Amino acid sequence: MRIGVFVCHCGSNIAATVDCPSVAEAAKLFPDVVFATDTMYACSEPGQDGIIQAIKEHRLDGCVVASCSPRMHEPTFRRALERAGLNRYMLEMANIREHVSWIGKNKELNTGKATELVRIAAEKLRLNTPLFANQFDVTKRVLVIGGGVAGIQAALDCADAGIQVIMVERETSIGGKMAKLDKTFPTVDCSSCILGPKMVDVAQHPNITLYAASEVEEISGYVGNFDVKVRRKATYVNWASCTGCGLCMEKCPSKKSHDAFNEGVATTTAINIPFPQAIPKKAAINPEFCMKLQKGKCGVCAKVCPTKCIDFEQQDTIVSEKVGAIVAATGYDLFDWTVYGQYGAGRYPDVVTSLQYERMMNASGPTSGHIQRPSDGREPKRVVFIQCVGSRDKSVNRPYCSGFCCMYTAKQAVLTKDHIPDSDSYVFYMDIRSPGKGYDEFTRRAQEQYGVQYVRGRVSMVYPKGDVLVVRGADTLAGTQVEVEADLVVLAVGVEASKGAAHLAEKLRISYDQYGFFMESHPKLKPVETNTAGVYLAGCSQGPKDIPTSVGQGSAAAAKVLTLFAKDKLESDPQVSSVNQNRCVGCLKCTMTCPFGAIKDVKDRAGNTKAEVIETVCQGCGICTVTCPHGAIQLQHFTDNQILAEVNALCQPELEF
Amino acid sequence: MSTLEQLKEQIRKALPDLDVVIGWEQGYDAMHATPLFIREEADIDRLIWSPLCVHSLGTYLTGLTKSSKVQKVGLVVKGCDSRAIVQLTQERMIPRENVTLFGVGCSGCLSHARLEYKVEQGGHYVEDMHAITFNGDKVEVAVDGGVESFDFDTVCLEKCLTCRFPNAIATEHFAGEEVPVAPKREKAPSLEAFEKLPLDERFAFWQDQMRRCVRCYACRNTCPMCVCRDHCISTSRNPHWVSQEASTAENFMFQMIHTMHLAGRCIECGECQRACPVDLPIMLFRRTMVHAVKDTFNYVSGADPEATPPLLTFKAEEDNINERGW
Repeated sequence: MRIGVFVCHCGSNIAATVDCPSVAEAAKLFPDVVFATDTMYACSEPGQDGIIQAIKEHRLDGCVVASCSPRMHEPTFRRALERAGLNRYMLEMANIREHVSWIGKNKELNTGKATELVRIAAEKLRLNTPLFANQFDVTKRVLVIGGGVAGIQAALDCADAGIQVIMVERETSIGGKMAKLDKTFPTVDCSSCILGPKMVDVAQHPNITLYAASEVEEISGYVGNFDVKVRRKATYVNWASCTGCGLCMEKCPSKKSHDAFNEGVATTTAINIPFPQAIPKKAAINPEFCMKLQKGKCGVCAKVCPTKCIDFEQQDTIVSEKVGAIVAATGYDLFDWTVYGQYGAGRYPDVVTSLQYERMMNASGPTSGHIQRPSDGREPKRVVFIQCVGSRDKSVNRPYCSGFCCMYTAKQAVLTKDHIPDSDSYVFYMDIRSPGKGYDEFTRRAQEQYGVQYVRGRVSMVYPKGDVLVVRGADTLAGTQVEVEADLVVLAVGVEASKGAAHLAEKLRISYDQYGFFMESHPKLKPVETNTAGVYLAGCSQGPKDIPTSVGQGSAAAAKVLTLFAKDKLESDPQVSSVNQNRCVGCLKCTMTCPFGAIKDVKDRAGNTKAEVIETVCQGCGICTVTCPHGAIQLQHFTDNQILAEVNALCQPELEF
Repeated sequence: MSTLEQLKEQIRKALPDLDVVIGWEQGYDAMHATPLFIREEADIDRLIWSPLCVHSLGTYLTGLTKSSKVQKVGLVVKGCDSRAIVQLTQERMIPRENVTLFGVGCSGCLSHARLEYKVEQGGHYVEDMHAITFNGDKVEVAVDGGVESFDFDTVCLEKCLTCRFPNAIATEHFAGEEVPVAPKREKAPSLEAFEKLPLDERFAFWQDQMRRCVRCYACRNTCPMCVCRDHCISTSRNPHWVSQEASTAENFMFQMIHTMHLAGRCIECGECQRACPVDLPIMLFRRTMVHAVKDTFNYVSGADPEATPPLLTFKAEEDNINERGW
């Protein structure tokens, strides 16, 4: 084999701490290396041309490019090799930027390490063989997980393009957090008035199948061909015949059920339709509070139901769906605000969360839009908003900014004035973060036009005094301590990843960060892709976002799905397992451990059992290769011998030149 | 009727339906037994059953059942031997329906190595031993015209001290009485002693031992769980895990491969160590791995025909390895 080595300076990114010419010089002495050089930017057009020219001039069979992470430029150099007439898998990359120059300052040590990485790559390359891709069919259906505004947007865009959409929503209605909001900033238009039509579109779109009150149970398969199992949770109501008339709700005697939709501001009935605009508008029984399910006595709803759709025996069911792509739009949940004991959250009834306040202001909420103190129902005349409750606070492990709390706090303060014209509002804030079209103007309007008092500083404690609450905090601009007597305190609670997001990420085989937010493939250039092909992100599941950004991401994810589906066939990755039938003893341990069901048993001509890999199903995880005791099954491009060659290259004593 | 008589009777009845039944017969001298291949009724008379019957006969199965001449095989098994069959069945390495097991209860087997050491300590030559009798807890050896007597526990195989499976399991036939399960030790004494060593001494110990390995592969060839046959990666070039070089490092690599390949599979029959011509303490590797598998997966190999071996399945989240704290 004739190997060429190209050591990239990456400007000064590598060359500042690695002696690139001497790495190239050392590489000339490695076995089979016939050409080695250093180059300023290997990925640039002249850099790639240099590689192509060297391949032709020196009749190279393969190349080692020592530069950045293969995540960055492996496709670039593979294409360059193909342009020069070589197979794309005759390329090896040595990552001397992320793994060397960026993490060490000692030039001598760095140069030594870079040389060793090049040696490892060259030794592996000596055992590389050309590989060729297969093609497989794509199932042009998409699964959207989460029916908030981001998921709705992604679903509608895909459905409008003629793609079948499966939408799975955990709650009994889609709409997500946006459905709970009263008004939206900065236009102060009615949230459900703009979301409602989209929800109706989802219900009526012929291309969308909606599974509400359902969760994703299991996902197998791979890009283009995922098999999804959806658990449809028992609602104890036969939705096929439920008309959503609401008669059951009127008669249900268990009126103390937790009202999740109204954030616990009021209670509701055990059988319940969460809100008037719910999609689907179907009743569901909360088994925790249902007397019939708890004690076996009652059944009033079954008696009054005109369509006889109550079924106390109903069980969860599992439905299977085949899809080619998945959009994860699972949204967010509020941080557990009760850890802020000093704010009295959870102890004083008149300390509420921003979402609870939103429900209190909403005309379809439990107070019919009248702002009332939960303790005595009195209209509050002075409302204090505390920002950054569970945001930008390292002490509660939430160092990030939740992004949209500044804006909704300003909105809520403005609306408070609208609802109660003789009221005063105070906002304790750290910084006002209002980048966005019309956002800063809005916060200024709240202060200047609506007279909202903004106090820059954190609140140290909230304590009761008579029937009011005293908010004590710092005013860092005035340099004094302030105390404000408040009738109602609203906490602008920060957001965190939706409950169970990490579990779903494991099922989807996508990465997630320490707070449970799903990881995008690249923070700038691939914001809706994940590192798992065919899985895309939208909305707050990826990180805190306001509504316009979530909608934008929903559409972006849909665009990615449509791009994927624009091809009828996808190319499979040839870096998959392959069985050496001469060595296989037919024990089929590989079939037992394969997580993808990618290995089947076949008979050879003599009737002996042998294992065979289904190339398009294999994901190249390599579990079979460590299971096979005699190495009969090998992962192409990462064979035992290739890895052993790498280890031997590294572990050999220093070569004497 | 004695266990042996019962066993012979059972084999006699079953033999017409079987191509071969494997048991033990008296070996080349009074001190040794050797495997017996019973093909016709006359062979049955040569069958013996005593603490000399050390061999784990399951090791013949994977080869025999692949042969075109042999369809149905009978096998006499002790408790430990039967675990090998269970494990091989779980791994689908043998057509279990073609195998008939004749189980016995076992109160321990003789360690020739320990006995010979004791006899030599007593000032005798091993070659001069000419008779052996097992008398309850005592072993009496006729040597040099006299008789030396030893406690059985001091000359039995180490595995018998910790044995929890004295009776053959999942067999078609069972001869004699069941032996009560009564392990004399919780953990093998050699492993207990080894684990007391500090890490550097352990490493020095293994360097010394591995230097002696002659890579004859007797440990592999006698192992009932070594099923790769001609395809063992320790003698292949592709993949080329181990070279021919007879260095400590390569020897160690081979022994480590053997140990790793037995993770969750080793049934502690001890045949590897018994077969080793240079007496390497191979069972230290095996037992360490067995304990690791027990601790990690709560799994005892070859104990339950219905169980799934932990390394023959895929789980995103292991029951005993709580990576995420869910």
